[in-house]
Amino acid sequence: MLKTPSSTTAGPSFDDAYDLSRRNLLRLGLMGGAMLVGPSFAVAAGGPSETPVAGGTLTIGADADPIGLDPTTVTAFSSYDFTGLIYTGLLRWTADMKIEPDLTVSYERPDDKTYVFKLREGVKFHNGQDFTAEDVKYTFDRILDPATASKLRAQYSGIKAVTVLDPRTVKFELKTTDAAFLNYLATNPDGAIVPKGVENLSTQPVGTGPFVFESYQPNQQFTLTANPNYYEKGLPFLSKVVFKFYKDQATLSSALRSKAIDMTWLKDPKVAALMAKTSPDLVSAPGQTSRTFPIWLNMKAKPLDDIRVRRALSLATDRKACLDTVLGGSGKIGAMIPESQVGGYDGVGEMPYYKHDAAAAKKLLAEAGYPDGIDLGNYIVVAANPLDVACAQILHQQWQAAGITVKLTPMETAPLLNLWSTGGWPTLLSVALSWTPDADAIFQYVKSDSKFGTAMGIADPQLDKLITEARADVDPASRAAKNLQIQRHIAENAYVIQTYQYPLRWEIWWNYAKGYMPLAANIRSFVRTTWVKK
Amino acid sequence: MIRVVLTRFAWTLVILLGVSFVAFMLMRALPGDFAIAAAGSQSVSPEVLDAIRRDLGLDRPLLEQYFLWLGHALTGDLGRSFVTKQPVLSELPARFVVTFQLTLIAAIIAMTMGIATGLASARMRGRTDWFVRIYNGLILAVPNFVVATLIVLLAGLYFPQLSIFNYTPFLSDPIANLGSLLLPAFSLALAVSVTISENTRAAVLEISSQDFVMVARAKGLLPRTVLRNYLVRNALTPIITVTGLQVASLLGGSILVETIFAIPGMGQYLFDSINSRDYPVIQAIVVLAASVVILVNMLVDIAYARVDARVKA
Repeated sequence: MLKTPSSTTAGPSFDDAYDLSRRNLLRLGLMGGAMLVGPSFAVAAGGPSETPVAGGTLTIGADADPIGLDPTTVTAFSSYDFTGLIYTGLLRWTADMKIEPDLTVSYERPDDKTYVFKLREGVKFHNGQDFTAEDVKYTFDRILDPATASKLRAQYSGIKAVTVLDPRTVKFELKTTDAAFLNYLATNPDGAIVPKGVENLSTQPVGTGPFVFESYQPNQQFTLTANPNYYEKGLPFLSKVVFKFYKDQATLSSALRSKAIDMTWLKDPKVAALMAKTSPDLVSAPGQTSRTFPIWLNMKAKPLDDIRVRRALSLATDRKACLDTVLGGSGKIGAMIPESQVGGYDGVGEMPYYKHDAAAAKKLLAEAGYPDGIDLGNYIVVAANPLDVACAQILHQQWQAAGITVKLTPMETAPLLNLWSTGGWPTLLSVALSWTPDADAIFQYVKSDSKFGTAMGIADPQLDKLITEARADVDPASRAAKNLQIQRHIAENAYVIQTYQYPLRWEIWWNYAKGYMPLAANIRSFVRTTWVKK
Repeated sequence: MIRVVLTRFAWTLVILLGVSFVAFMLMRALPGDFAIAAAGSQSVSPEVLDAIRRDLGLDRPLLEQYFLWLGHALTGDLGRSFVTKQPVLSELPARFVVTFQLTLIAAIIAMTMGIATGLASARMRGRTDWFVRIYNGLILAVPNFVVATLIVLLAGLYFPQLSIFNYTPFLSDPIANLGSLLLPAFSLALAVSVTISENTRAAVLEISSQDFVMVARAKGLLPRTVLRNYLVRNALTPIITVTGLQVASLLGGSILVETIFAIPGMGQYLFDSINSRDYPVIQAIVVLAASVVILVNMLVDIAYARVDARVKA
C-alpha cells in the first residue's frame, strides 16, 4: 500500500504542487517520456482516510556519522542522509525514480546542449537569505573551481557556462549532449544548491531543504528541526528529526525493536526479514535494487588477461544460488548496472556467459592451457561486510567445482580500497557498487582511461565508444537500449563478473511513522512527507 | 622519596613519547588513509583525494608530520579531528569521563564478584569450589563482545523497556546514567572477574597453608578474624596486582563494549577513528590511554605499600 501513490489524500499544499507539475508536464512535452512529473508527489498516506498530523519527532537509527555537511566538498557516503534533508536542488527524484522539478517551477531545453531553469519564487535559505539564480551559478562555479577540490567536478566537467538571465532564470550550457546531466542535478548532494557567500557549510550547513540543522554530537545524535519557511506548503509534517548512531548492526536492530528508534536501515536482508516477522507493526520495504556485487578482475597479467579464463569464471558462477543463499532471494541476478538506472538489467534477460555450466568452464580452461584446473590465488573481499564474505564463500565452492581454486582473503576496508584504486590486487577483488546518480558513473569504472579501468587493465576502444555514445543520448528509450548493449558487451568479454543486485539497504520502520517511502537514490528524501502517529 | 617520584615521572614521559611515536608510525603503516576511507567505494578522482590530503598535511614526510604533531601536542594542542573538524580536546574529555565511569563500575563489579567467588571457592571447597571453577572456565572462554551482543539482542527482544539504547549523560540524569551503564559494565566485568576470582582462590589457598595462619588458628582466633586479618589481608597483594593489570584490559574491552552498546565513550571513539583513519583522534586517545595505564600502575605500587608492610621500605 505504500507503493501506490494516491493523489486523493492531498491537502491544499499538494494541490498547489500538483498544479505546478501539470504546468511542467506541458513544458516538458518535448523532453520525451523521461520526465514523468506525476502526482506521485502526493504521497501514499498509509491509507486513504488518514490525514497527516503535524508535529512530532522521528528518530532514525544510523550506522555511520557524517563526514562534513557541505554538499560540494563531501566525499563520504554517510553524509548524504543528512545533506538530503538539509539541502535541495533544482530537480529531485520521485519514489519511482523519475525526475521532477524541486527548486524550479519549470525548465526548457532550447537545444540539445542548453537548459534553462525557471526558479521558484519566495524560497529562502535557512539563514533567511533569498534563493536566487546567483546561488545556482555560485554553486556550480564553486564545484567547477579546481581549488574547491570537489568530487563533483569530474561529473559536471561537461558544463561550459552557467549564466544568470534574471534573478529567477538560470541557463546551463553544456559542451556536449549529456544524458546524465539532469540525473546528477536531481541527486543529493550532487545537485544541492548552496547559498552564495556563506562559509563553513561543512560544520554549519545552510540549505533550502525541509529541515534545518540544529545540533550534532559525534557518535551520539544529530538533530534537525522543521524549516518553517519550507517552500512546499504544509511540509514537513514532523517538527523534529533525530538521528541516533549505533555502529553495531545487532544493536541497531535491537534499538528498533525496543522503539528507541522509529526507523532504520539494515545491511542484511535476512535480518530485516526476521525483524519484520517479530511484529506485524514493522514495515519493511526494500525499494528498487540499487547495488551490485561485482568481482573486479586484474587483467593486466596472466592468467586473467586471457578471455577464456575470464569466461570460464563467469560460466562457473551460479548466480541464482548466490542470490538465494546470501540474500534469501530478495534481490535479482545482476549485470553491470542495477535495475533502478536507465537500461538497468532486469535480472532475467539473456546475458552472455551467464548460464551456470561447470563442464563448459572446464573445457574453456583446458583450451586456455589449464586442463587440470587453475589456481587464481587470493580473492580479496571486504571483511566488514558479512554479505560480501558469504557470497565469496559460495563462489569459492562453485568455482572449485569447475576446477578454479581461490583463497578467500577478507580485508579491512581502507587498505582494500587502496588496492582497488591503484590496481595492486593480484587477481580477484570484490567491492559492492553503490547507487550512482547515473548509469554512466558505473560505466566509468570500466572505461579504458578511467582510474579503475586502468587499474583493471581494460583497453577496449569499442567499449569506450559505446559508453560515450550512450551518455550523449538524451532519448531515454534508445539510451536504455545502448546501456543494455554495453552490459552485454561487458559480460561477453567477462571484464567484470557480476553476481547479483539488491537494494542498497533494507529499510524498516514502525508503522506509526506514516507517509514514508524508501528511495533507491541513497537518501531518505521522503522524511519530508512523513508524520508520526503513535 | 622525591627522587623516586621524579625518576618515575621522567620514565613516564619517555614511555609516552615512545608510545606516541609507535602509534603514529603504526597507523601510517596501515594501508589506506582518511581520504580513501571517506570516499568508500565511490569513484573519486585522485586529484580530489590529493587535495584532501594536502589540506590535512598528509602529503608531508612522515617524520615531519610526527614532529609537527609532537610540537603542537607539547603546547597542549592535539589538533582537529579530520571527520568533525572540531578540536580533539573539545570532544575527548567528555568521552574519557564516560569510559572512566564505565570502567570504574566494571572494576567494582569485577572485584566484588571475583573476590566473593574466589573466597567462597577457596574457603568452602567441595561442591562450591567445583561450581565456581566450572563457571570460571566457561566465562573465561566467552569473549566480552559475545556477552555484550547477547545482552543487546535479548534485551531488545524481551525487555524493550530497558533503556540500554538510550545513553543518558550523568549530568542530565545521574540515575538513568547509571542504569544505562550497568549492563555494559557487567559484560565488560565478567571476564575480568574470573581472573580476579581465580587469583583470589589461588592466593587464599596458598596463604591458608602458611605457618602463621596455622598459628593464628591454633591460638584460638575466631575463623572470621583469621579470614579477615590474616587470609584476606595477605591475599590482597596479588589481587591488587591482577586488578591493576586488568585495567588495561578493561580499557581495551571498552572499545568493543562501547561500540556494541552505543555508549559515547573513548573506546567507541577510538574504534570509529581507526576505521576512518582519523589520525589526530587516534593519537590523542592512545596517549591518554597509555597515561591511564601508567597512572594505575603507579597507584598499584602505592597500594602495595598500604597493604604490605614489607614494601614500605
